[in-house]
Amino acid sequence: MILRIPEIKGVLVTAVLLAALVCGCARMTPPREADALYLHLGAEPGTLNPITATDAYAATINEHIYENLVERDYDTLEIVPRLAERWTISPDRLRYRFYLKKGVRWSDGVEFTADDIVYSFRALKDPKTASAQLKVYYIDVKDVRRISRYVVEFTYSRPYFLALEFCGGIPIVPEHIFNDGTDFNTHKNSRFPVGTGPYLFSRWDTGKKIVLVRNDKYWGKKPEIRKIVYKLVPEINVALQMLKKGELDVMSLRSIQWVRQTGTEKFNSNFYRLKYYLPRYNYIGWNARSELFSDKRVRRAMTHFIDREAILNKLLFGLGRIVTGNFYIESRSYNRDLEPWPFDPEKGKALLKQAGWSDTDGDGILDRNGKKFSFTFTISSGSKFGERLTSILKEDLSRAGIEMNINRYEWAVFVNKLNSRDFEAVTLSWSLGYGGDPYQLWHSSQTERGSNFCNFSNREADAIIEAARMEFNEDRRTRMYHRFHEIIHEEQPYTFLYSTPALVAVSRRFDNVKVHKRGLNYLEWKVKGK
Amino acid sequence: MKKYLLKRILLIVPTFIGITLITYLMVRLAPGDYTTLKAGLQGELRAGSVGMEILEQERKLYGLDKPIIVGYADWLGSFMVLDFGTSRKDGRPVSTRIADALPITLALNIITIIIVYIISIPVGIITSVKKDSAFDRVVSLVMFILYSLPAFWIGLLLLMYFSGGEYLNIFPLGGIMSDWAEEPGFWRKLLDIAWHLVLPVVTLTYGSFAFLSRYTRANMLEVINQQYITTARAKGLSEARVVFVHAFRNSLVPLVTLMATLLPGLLGGSVIVESIFSIPGMGMLAFESILARDIPVIMAIAAISALLTLVGILIADLMYALVDPRIRLESRI
Repeated sequence: MILRIPEIKGVLVTAVLLAALVCGCARMTPPREADALYLHLGAEPGTLNPITATDAYAATINEHIYENLVERDYDTLEIVPRLAERWTISPDRLRYRFYLKKGVRWSDGVEFTADDIVYSFRALKDPKTASAQLKVYYIDVKDVRRISRYVVEFTYSRPYFLALEFCGGIPIVPEHIFNDGTDFNTHKNSRFPVGTGPYLFSRWDTGKKIVLVRNDKYWGKKPEIRKIVYKLVPEINVALQMLKKGELDVMSLRSIQWVRQTGTEKFNSNFYRLKYYLPRYNYIGWNARSELFSDKRVRRAMTHFIDREAILNKLLFGLGRIVTGNFYIESRSYNRDLEPWPFDPEKGKALLKQAGWSDTDGDGILDRNGKKFSFTFTISSGSKFGERLTSILKEDLSRAGIEMNINRYEWAVFVNKLNSRDFEAVTLSWSLGYGGDPYQLWHSSQTERGSNFCNFSNREADAIIEAARMEFNEDRRTRMYHRFHEIIHEEQPYTFLYSTPALVAVSRRFDNVKVHKRGLNYLEWKVKGK
Repeated sequence: MKKYLLKRILLIVPTFIGITLITYLMVRLAPGDYTTLKAGLQGELRAGSVGMEILEQERKLYGLDKPIIVGYADWLGSFMVLDFGTSRKDGRPVSTRIADALPITLALNIITIIIVYIISIPVGIITSVKKDSAFDRVVSLVMFILYSLPAFWIGLLLLMYFSGGEYLNIFPLGGIMSDWAEEPGFWRKLLDIAWHLVLPVVTLTYGSFAFLSRYTRANMLEVINQQYITTARAKGLSEARVVFVHAFRNSLVPLVTLMATLLPGLLGGSVIVESIFSIPGMGMLAFESILARDIPVIMAIAAISALLTLVGILIADLMYALVDPRIRLESRI
């Protein structure tokens, strides 16, 4: 027999009916819990062990499960007690003694003591532990000692103004769980955390979701939200659709979504749209080791050729602030007296001329001693911003007589290029801590093997960085950093671009949703109508 | 026959070693390794990132300081005893990660393959029998239009219009199971999963009709012009018998070649479909581990698909002899 068209139609109709039936049955979805908070997770963390976890996703989840000795106040960014009741600092500023809160218990009922801190430090420093991302911060910590059950002392090898933050911020894991003879990196509780925080780990459905429930025995103030569900949705457009449909309560938006897809009245009646600045910025880095960009006049000229205002409006819909230097724009260290170098191609050309670049052979490209002004801009292949930025730059620079090529590399390869300093220009962003020590990014000792991959090196800057590390008076340190900021502005090792805001949509099912300097704090949210 | 089988099975061993060795070489020689990714994710570096000394220490931890050939031998040794190692990303055994991702991918692929075959082969037969008719042309055109529509676009459109809530709200927005479906109740659960799979399956299938139906059509056309078909018709056999028994059976031989790709094809997932529909399947697993240079996972997936491909080819060759008695295996080596 041969299927004829009417029969095929028949099959199709049956299929549609069947599908409808399936949907009809399956749509009897029970209503979702009112006091649960559904958050968007763009990618899955590998582990929830705070010592080996490297991604931001793990950090946001762990923040509710694990606690530190101290934390930064949400508004003032001052260091305030958390698991430590108080602390003392020795006069030579080398020894930090923390007095722990008594009666704090891990979620399995065992008491939290100084031993847990000593163990966590040892585990972190152990060469066999995969904690490279943390070890670098604890190089100067000589020892952590238990003084008594509730007192612990950190010893630094030299004074450091951020020592309190680092000692107090060390991730703490329960010794009685992790110290059981099995491998720390692959320990089973890395995926089943036991913490002291306001939420307990409940379940992790790999590839789907991670669920936390409120810790009803929490020592501090208990939050109103009973349950937090992190839903894994890799596709950001789908996540937005879920948000609109009410399956997600909170989501970080892209600038295009903020401007084009969430502006309707209906959306605004269902969601708060929140915007705040975190310590991060993006930039174009010029490798001072390359022949072209070793000259600060050339780097300055490049900044003059780049119309940052126009690019901001075009690529980021104006959502961002042009920065002039490396510090967090909301911090005191940021020198507000400095104006961004203006977009001024003529000035740029003049600077290049001073540096000896002119078009002698009339081919439209600048040259010096027979060498053309031509360089390669390296971007990471997934970066939409990088892609669009470089195509604009290529156009603008060619007008100034500069030839620019674009090379794309996959992220792992790109990082490799940075580490081997094998590039001329890159665009990237930094996410910083609140402390704002420029040492790792800008000190000349970090040019070989550290994070100063653009090879910025300036004697005065080095001296300031070193002195500021030991300066405990904030006013004096601020003045030093303002001067440092001036040097960076003058030298233009980077063309600093923007600090882009966090753009977040939050369901209006919740009340008391406040934007703090540190961001959002779910612990204080109230569920409406409760 | 036995001799042939033995020879072929023995041949699998060096081929397998060759494939996995090349894969391992490529992964290890590719710039960047697992430790470089600790510096940050996709364009955003953490301040300070990491010092090179510490990275080197970490490299040692993962055996990345050993020569490549030693690394390969280590891997092969553990693979022999079915130990795939632990994933760099989450420290879980690779076998667990694959076991997590495999069932859903298998389900998706089996459903997809069945639907594609059920629709494409009859369509191929009909269009070959009614060659150059209006039906043939319209169907070809439609299939090629479907074939040329990119999956990431169609997938998102389907979600927008059928489950976004702004237009229709018939299907769920991705995932493979509702949150409430963890409660017992086999049929309810099955129904729930089926409901979740509708849109992904549509996205996976629509583009595949063109190839298989055209392939069937071409093979049928070759057969249908043979003299024995004319003879069959002249004998007064019914059209159905002519087409299905005399023509279709003989057009099956080239289809057998496709069987070889079927087996490894079951394992592979589509990164695009999986990421749009939030499905934690094999595609995402493979893709993420390649980006993260998660060597144990990459090697396990590569080795399993290599094995399945080799076995698939062997089965296809044996099937040839089955569907076409003229083919003698002994002479084919």
